[in-house]
Amino acid sequence: MSHTVLRDLHTTGELAARYREVPGLLAGLDDTGLRRAGAVLSRVDISDVDPALARFTVAVTGSSALQPIQAPLTAQLARHGFVPDVRLGGYRQHAMELRDPANPLFGTEPDLTVCVLDADEVFGALSTPWTVEDVAAALAEHAESVEALTGAYRRDHAGALVLTTVPLPRHWAAQIVDLRSRALLGIAWREFEARLLRLAVDHAGVFVLDLEPLVGVAGPLLDPRMAAYTKVQFSDDVLAALAREIGHVARALRGRTSKCLVLDLDGTTWGGVLAEDGPTGIVTGDGPVGEAFTAVQKAAKQLAAQGLLLAVCSKNDEDRVRAALRDNPDLTLREDDLVALVANWGAKPDNLRQIAEQLNIGVDSLVFIDDSASERGLVRATVPEVPVIAVDADEPALHLHALLADGWFTTQRVTDEDRARGERYRTERKRLEFRERTESLAEYLAQLGTTVELFRPSEAEIGRISQITQRTNQFNLTTIRLDVAAVTAALADPGREVFGVRCADRFGEHGVVGAVFLTRTEGACHIDNFLLSCRVLARGVEDAVVHALLARARESGATAVTAEYRPTAKNGAVAEFYPKNGFQPSIADAGLFTHDLLTLPPAVPHVDLRVPEATD
Amino acid sequence: MTETEFIDLVGAESGLPLTVADLATGFDDLPGWDSVHLLKVLSALETERGITLRVAELLSTKSLGDLHRAVAAA
Repeated sequence: MSHTVLRDLHTTGELAARYREVPGLLAGLDDTGLRRAGAVLSRVDISDVDPALARFTVAVTGSSALQPIQAPLTAQLARHGFVPDVRLGGYRQHAMELRDPANPLFGTEPDLTVCVLDADEVFGALSTPWTVEDVAAALAEHAESVEALTGAYRRDHAGALVLTTVPLPRHWAAQIVDLRSRALLGIAWREFEARLLRLAVDHAGVFVLDLEPLVGVAGPLLDPRMAAYTKVQFSDDVLAALAREIGHVARALRGRTSKCLVLDLDGTTWGGVLAEDGPTGIVTGDGPVGEAFTAVQKAAKQLAAQGLLLAVCSKNDEDRVRAALRDNPDLTLREDDLVALVANWGAKPDNLRQIAEQLNIGVDSLVFIDDSASERGLVRATVPEVPVIAVDADEPALHLHALLADGWFTTQRVTDEDRARGERYRTERKRLEFRERTESLAEYLAQLGTTVELFRPSEAEIGRISQITQRTNQFNLTTIRLDVAAVTAALADPGREVFGVRCADRFGEHGVVGAVFLTRTEGACHIDNFLLSCRVLARGVEDAVVHALLARARESGATAVTAEYRPTAKNGAVAEFYPKNGFQPSIADAGLFTHDLLTLPPAVPHVDLRVPEATD
Repeated sequence: MTETEFIDLVGAESGLPLTVADLATGFDDLPGWDSVHLLKVLSALETERGITLRVAELLSTKSLGDLHRAVAAA
């Protein structure tokens, strides 16, 4: 049991030094195992942990006793590779804490504050006997107060805020005996919850987790004995499910949303064995078992429509797989839905690496689902950075639920880019074929007809700009991640400029593929960050953009442009980007560069670039 | 449930490095002990052993030894 391994490491004092091993130890643990591991991890002094590992600080506050969320939440954050720092507010102090930025809860500014509300706060304030009208009035007041607290938090804090909805416990609803009034209570309650959910729509950086679907799978909502004696208003199972969701919010905020679902086929995507049953003999489509597999295919397709990439990694003959995807009339999933198809008899870890390479994404951006315990074990052992979803071929009705149990694909906002992503990868394949047909790279670039536009992002494009800062790892000069609220603030700042980079070529639109963040200084201009999707690298786009920025700065009368490169594990390829374009490193700080604008780097003739006029 | 099994479970739920010798120590003198740990132990006992405990009564136990005796009788 991994939690005992963790406990032993903690007892011998080695845990802090070996924190890198923690995600591996947590992989595959159930909620009980995670809670127990979290109890050990909560006791680690994280100031002893390697500062190179990313911290994630969460402040938890709310209207009931919430200590039991500390262990599962700590484990969930650690599972995603963060060094967790989970702080609990005082019992029922949420109103004070959220309103007061100087509160000790915010001694370290949290990346995320979680405020968990509960129904007893509402009913507890009523005098007995109460009526449905009393509840409705109290709820309206309560909603207003939460709205005000959210506004106050947003004003005072840079970190995100997570609120929860408030499921109506039966022991309150059942105290109303007439069914018409009970329906009215239900209406008032749902209107209150709808107002809470609305906060997530109206505020950037505010997320409202709907507890109702969670309670449906993880309930009961509470243990009446714990609620009565200890003021804990949620069962361990519900808190574990909530902690799991918060973990995925943290992943999304740090740009670690998984990008590609890799499906095994036999026993996972369809029933039976393709090599034995043949392309039309596999189980899918109608019938109770076939429908269970179809549900998995439909869910995959549903996720893909929102930007998730789908790939197949199967031990099968490739021709046979293509035949099944083409000829089986009962499959929902077709070859066109996939951006990569690897079917062979090789080792799956190698095939997963190949898929990541082909898609030009990190292998840690994949999620793998398979019904074979040995394949899963091999992948876990060889590529531990790939989350693995286990399904049992003999119980396919549970596949859908296993696929969705973790929010690997949770993101802040789905953008137009996301919806078009699958199509873009398919176009990329055509582009590669064209590249293979042309004689030289120069000829290929000349014929590609690349056009680039720098533009000032509109309200509707802010989500995409934020997403680029969150998702781009390789061509990201400083790796400053910005959420939607931070991009909005940069756009509103008169001392700063934000550009999106849009790109197209003869094969079609690439869409918004990059961003530039500038700060205007006296007689100069500083490039805070420059990011570009790996989809458009190695064709001169980056050089054309930097050339345009330098030319534009010179025209506006600036005498220098400064820029920064800050190394990370993934952006080593751009270490020489600024020097290559004529920037000189600063003597005091090797990550700081200056271009004196005397001689601009050469223009890039095969890229047609448009830049907005400089404004004052 | 033996004393060792019981201490293992309490250790797992609390994350504390406990031994059978800690059964005799009062909760107030147990380093790192918190009343929340007691709740976690009670929940875990119920789930793992499929039993229903009298929580109201057990909240007033003063040491792990007290708790073990009360649970063993359940």
